Amino acid sequence: MDKKTVSTIAYLSRLSLNEQNEDKITKDLENIIKFVDQLNTANTENIEPLASPLEKTAKTRSDNVSAKNRKEVFLERSPKSNEDYFLVPRVVE
Amino acid sequence: MSIQYKSIAELKKMLNNNEISNAELIKETFSLVKSNAEINAFITLNDEESINKANKLDDCPSSGSLAGIPIAQKDLFCTKDLKTTCGSNMLSNFIPPYSATVVKNLENAGCISIGKTNMDEFAMGSSNETSFYGKVQNPWGKNLVPGGSSGGAAAAVAAGIVPAASGTDTGGSIRQPASLCGVTGIKPTYGRISRWGMIAFASSLDQAGPIARTAEDCATLLNEMCSHDEKDTTSLNEDIPDFTENLNSPINGLKIGIVKEFDLSKLDNEVVKVFEESKKHYESLGAEFIEISLPNISLSVPTYYVVAPAECSSNLSRFDGVKFGKRCESPKNLEELYIKTRSEGFGDEVKRRILIGSYVLSAGFYDAYYKKAQQVRRLIKNDFDSAFKSVDIIMSPTTRGPAFEVGSKGDDPIQMYLEDLFTIPANLAGLPAMSIPNGIIDNKPIGLQLIGNFLDESRLLQAAHNFQISTDWHLKTPRGIKS
Repeated sequence: MDKKTVSTIAYLSRLSLNEQNEDKITKDLENIIKFVDQLNTANTENIEPLASPLEKTAKTRSDNVSAKNRKEVFLERSPKSNEDYFLVPRVVE
Repeated sequence: MSIQYKSIAELKKMLNNNEISNAELIKETFSLVKSNAEINAFITLNDEESINKANKLDDCPSSGSLAGIPIAQKDLFCTKDLKTTCGSNMLSNFIPPYSATVVKNLENAGCISIGKTNMDEFAMGSSNETSFYGKVQNPWGKNLVPGGSSGGAAAAVAAGIVPAASGTDTGGSIRQPASLCGVTGIKPTYGRISRWGMIAFASSLDQAGPIARTAEDCATLLNEMCSHDEKDTTSLNEDIPDFTENLNSPINGLKIGIVKEFDLSKLDNEVVKVFEESKKHYESLGAEFIEISLPNISLSVPTYYVVAPAECSSNLSRFDGVKFGKRCESPKNLEELYIKTRSEGFGDEVKRRILIGSYVLSAGFYDAYYKKAQQVRRLIKNDFDSAFKSVDIIMSPTTRGPAFEVGSKGDDPIQMYLEDLFTIPANLAGLPAMSIPNGIIDNKPIGLQLIGNFLDESRLLQAAHNFQISTDWHLKTPRGIKS
């Protein structure tokens, strides 16, 4: 784990780290990764990964309309919106 | 008559006997909240609506099992028209347009949601020190942490402000604060309680549950909180028993497993002594102890610190400053909007976990970390499956010790992560587990953990209730709490 890796994963996470934080975070992440490296002591050959304790196929339900369109209720919770859309800085020049 | 430290069962009796009105009960509750404001257990209060509801109940009584009972909701559950922050600056202005299924279930049973409890930011922490809204004081000592992440919930119950609170448990967030605050809490089987409207941290581990004064009250609450919910694809569609039904059945012949690999010799003598005394007590109730082996259990914490951050980094990508929550000031472009909003909105621990998650999920590391952790997760689950062939429940201390001092875990996140050593395995395997008070060390309470087999909450609650009707640890109250 070096600063370059940390800055790559910070970008992937859409987070910016200030310089004084960067050293501390690099060290913390290095220690945490070293800690989880203990997993290598387990023999996991031919072991199927377990993603959820409920190993059931996701249920389906019939495709009925069950909720009203509450567009305005959701739009009004946005930091910036107009009558129809969430607004963000211009992305197409 | 004071309502402080009363259980749900006791408050129901007082209401039924007209010793107190619904409105008086709620007013008393808010007076306790105010006189104990320094505990900082609440982020948002729901006073006006609570009093209105109580008045309505006085005019028109309800037969609901929780009618008029004041309950504090963890600030991680969406509550319609009531601010829900998840302990984060990111959601400091978020007013949900709907309530979580579990909140609705409780309110349908007549309870009054009096406010939202403080918590570690996005439930990431074991001491409540990561909350954007300030630390919560453990009612047992001003400089002691209440545990986390449901620290406000456990503190509010421990201070006798409310008889019960909702919590969530991803790696111990109900059981660890219950242990450190001297109250009772249960995390049911994964899927028993709907996750709809619960702000997600690690979806394959998150499970809601109650914190209360007694196992009996936890059973009453679970009866209402559990439901099958089409809105949550991982919600179980299994029969929900009446969890109060077998509470009083004796536990003669109950087989209790003691995990060989939980090395108690590393714990303080006092902690071991308290645990051994509880074992003796269970023996006197007719239980028998069997040593079991969970060979991969020592890898639970490293497994968790891959799986949980991976899921968290994915879940928390929704906080982008576009649809709800905080947005940074005058971003130059869309990317800056995302980056600035997230960097300003999240605290250090949340950032740390998002970064670990992004790392273990990134190309080149996925197999070495994420897939590997999921494989070890299966080994841990298999260990439990074999163990439950020979025992009914598994018992251990809930925590490595009683409440620690604020700031005492220093700067090293791993020290804090190890706080959940005994609680994390049940989350990885999706098993029900609870914590009940079983001793006091240096004037600080500590808890006993009981882990049950899949869907076997009833047996856990029965074992806990049998302990509580023959001991008084759950009745101990902290000194210096204002009435």
